Amino acid sequence: MPIRPLTFRRYLLAITGWAAVWLVVSAAAVVLGAENIWAWPSWESARTVLGLRLYAVLTASAVGAALALAGLAFQALLRNPLADPFILGVSGGASLGVVLSSLFLSVLAAPLFGFVGALLTVGVVYAVAQRRGRLEPYTLLLSGVIINAFYGAAIMLVTALIDPESRGDVAYWMMGCISTFGARWWLVGVVGGLVVAAAVLFAFLAKGFNLVAVGEDTAGALGVPVDRLRLVTFVAASLVTGASVALAGPIGFVGLICPHLLRMVLGPDHRRLVPATVFLGASLLVVADLATRLLMGLGGQAPPVGVLTAMAGGPFFIYLLRTRWRRKTEIR
Amino acid sequence: MAAKDRNPLTPDDAPAAGPYLAVEGVEFAYAPGTPVLRGFSMGLARGRLACLLGPNGSGKTTLLRILVGLLDPQAGQVRLAGTPLADYPRAALARRVAYVPQETLAAVGFTALETVLMGRSPHTGALGFESPADWRAAREALRRTDTERFAGRNLDELSGGERQRVIIARALAQEPDLILLDEPTSFLDIKHQHDIYGLLAGLVRDEGKTVVAVSHDLSLAAAYADDLVLVDEGRVAASGPPEAVIRPEVLSPVYDTPVEVRTDETTGRPYVLPRPPR
Amino acid sequence: MNRATRYLGLVLALAMAAGGCDESASPERDVGEDEPLRILSLAPNVTEILFAMGQGKRMVGRSTYCKFPPQAARLPAVGDTINMNLEKIVALKPNLALVVTKRDDVVRTLEGLGVHTVALECDTMAELYQTIDTIGRETGAMGPAMNLRDMIRDGLSAVRRRVAGRPRPKVLFAFPMTVGSAKMMVAGRGTFVDELLDVAGAENAYPEAGDWPTITPQQAVAMAPEIVIVNAVGDQAAPDRIEAIRRAWADLKGVPAVVKGRVIVLQDAYLTIPGPGVGLAAERLANVIHGLPGEPGR
Repeated sequence: MPIRPLTFRRYLLAITGWAAVWLVVSAAAVVLGAENIWAWPSWESARTVLGLRLYAVLTASAVGAALALAGLAFQALLRNPLADPFILGVSGGASLGVVLSSLFLSVLAAPLFGFVGALLTVGVVYAVAQRRGRLEPYTLLLSGVIINAFYGAAIMLVTALIDPESRGDVAYWMMGCISTFGARWWLVGVVGGLVVAAAVLFAFLAKGFNLVAVGEDTAGALGVPVDRLRLVTFVAASLVTGASVALAGPIGFVGLICPHLLRMVLGPDHRRLVPATVFLGASLLVVADLATRLLMGLGGQAPPVGVLTAMAGGPFFIYLLRTRWRRKTEIR
Repeated sequence: MAAKDRNPLTPDDAPAAGPYLAVEGVEFAYAPGTPVLRGFSMGLARGRLACLLGPNGSGKTTLLRILVGLLDPQAGQVRLAGTPLADYPRAALARRVAYVPQETLAAVGFTALETVLMGRSPHTGALGFESPADWRAAREALRRTDTERFAGRNLDELSGGERQRVIIARALAQEPDLILLDEPTSFLDIKHQHDIYGLLAGLVRDEGKTVVAVSHDLSLAAAYADDLVLVDEGRVAASGPPEAVIRPEVLSPVYDTPVEVRTDETTGRPYVLPRPPR
Repeated sequence: MNRATRYLGLVLALAMAAGGCDESASPERDVGEDEPLRILSLAPNVTEILFAMGQGKRMVGRSTYCKFPPQAARLPAVGDTINMNLEKIVALKPNLALVVTKRDDVVRTLEGLGVHTVALECDTMAELYQTIDTIGRETGAMGPAMNLRDMIRDGLSAVRRRVAGRPRPKVLFAFPMTVGSAKMMVAGRGTFVDELLDVAGAENAYPEAGDWPTITPQQAVAMAPEIVIVNAVGDQAAPDRIEAIRRAWADLKGVPAVVKGRVIVLQDAYLTIPGPGVGLAAERLANVIHGLPGEPGR
């Protein structure tokens, strides 16, 4: 007979397993790098570099986990496998906030404005999409996409109007980067905290996600408060996305692909997916960031992390899609 | 037995607390100006199998959705065991009432067993882990609907009829007091049609459950139901035991087509023969 | 001998002269009694200035764009101010970092790594002289710094003398229009290129102050420059792009420079680098604007 029951003990074991994967990957990313610091005579500089790497690993973990979790939540909320964290315009709002702040106000306050931009967008999208206080996936999706397009245009407008020197900065930031430059530990802490809160929240909502995937009526009849679930999911996923974009820019692909990768392995049950997504998202981005740093050591220039994730992840995912597609139904 | 023979739809005869399921003057419209239910009233005693009949668009599905708490009536009230529906917390209601909708979108990748286990979700804790009791209930439900062999198969691999039986199993796994089904046998072959109605009748008879099923098959409903409620344009047009409702003079005006009614000699129940329109 | 080689020769000569001065380095800047100076330069013009002052041998790292002089290209590259390879910077252990930026987070990050960082600005000639002074102070090479300043001043004065008394045409100094763009970047008033134009005996056709403002072709027509100088360097120096630039300007028939055939395309990188080569830049501009004999323009 098929699957084994999901008991609390197995759940904890799974979480521990995934967490272990993440810890191993993170440790490797701190220890490895372009510079072989372990051969350095002076411990002082080596410690400085370790500090830089630790910051990068923590940032990548927080952002990767945030985006993967938000992607999972949006896919459940919108009942759309193509949903990613940026589809509802939250990242557009955060990006615009960061860009405007960096250009005209202060680079330091940029993440704060990014977060504010994200919050405002959440409000706007909700106001546009809600009908009698309820959020329907179809209207939510359309509203978000339109608002996202608006933000995209606004950012292009700003880019066109500013001087060419700053243009490079903006373009670079829009590709998403885990930068050890101007370290903002406080923001990493905020993102990390939001990730933990969202993960716990979604773990409790996982049952509801499963039922809503089957049907809105079915879920309601089985006791799921569908409207409240949608609202809470929308707000939580948007907040965690906004904070993450404010920190590291819009890093694509992780939020879209992580949930799908895990669905291929674990199936569609959100109770299993939520904890796994958190740690896999974190690990993926840590690995991508490590690859970026290693490439930088080789060639001097390295693609931004977001570019790397898309270019490497795409073909890998296509390969998985082709080989496991047939076997998906035979897992059980 | 005596209780069963009593007409449950006469309020005077009902137990002191009122009927188990009481619908009182419910009105509902999806959009203003186009009412679907107009002053719908009915009462149902516990431990009965009732079928809702009526032409397309008469409001049967809407009524079911109101009964399960998915819609709020704009006027009137529904009471379950004396308490208004709105006063039940969601999870508590879900433990008492199960709903089998008319159509199920094949959900991505869940197996039949996982689907049936979903029926246990009103009983599982906050994180949703299932206990051995939950697994037993799910397996039992699969067995009773003759779907045990599909347990490990994905729902989208099953035929429409097999899927429907799995969904009914899900409702059974909920261990509800009241089961609401919207055309539960629409995709089933005659063997399984009778199997399902037989199962429902057995649940009523042996476990005292209450079943309300919307049906388009007048004869099938007449064969198994204790009570029939004929719905026309959002109101109750007729109600009572099959003999009282399955009559040409009652059915023809509502369905706007001539019908002939005969009696099945074996069961003593009426059945319907449609006649070509004049 | 072409422009670049002549420039190179000048720099090397200066460097050798500065090398002589180095032994009497001023004691003003002391990193530590025994600690030698390890310089990281994140700007191409600063790198050139360092080499011209003979301090090139104390450099341990450069930005990816510091390719001149050739010895600089052999140093390890650590990225640019947008994307710095901090690990590499730590590995190189510089104790003095020179950057050209207005952003204080660059300075703060480098200081955070324990590197004494100096932010420089070179938008005008005055700032360029100040930069040279600052570099001289920080590296303890005030002598070579003053030599460099004098060399630049003398070069500029020589050019001023040559063009004295000649009519001052209106000149627009532009970068090539980027593909698909309707605007081009020009030198505004107050920039050091503008000052070079002034030294070279011309008047900047762009009337307002501004760093590198972008203008539309219509605005170019309104400004009615008598000479247009387009400086195409790097990727834009390919023959087909130069041809495209010429054609694009030929379309603007209302511009006097186009009518008189005085749209000149140059490919001299040093024209826009505020460094040791500004004297040569002024000379080049003067030759081109006034049609003086000198090296024939390409």
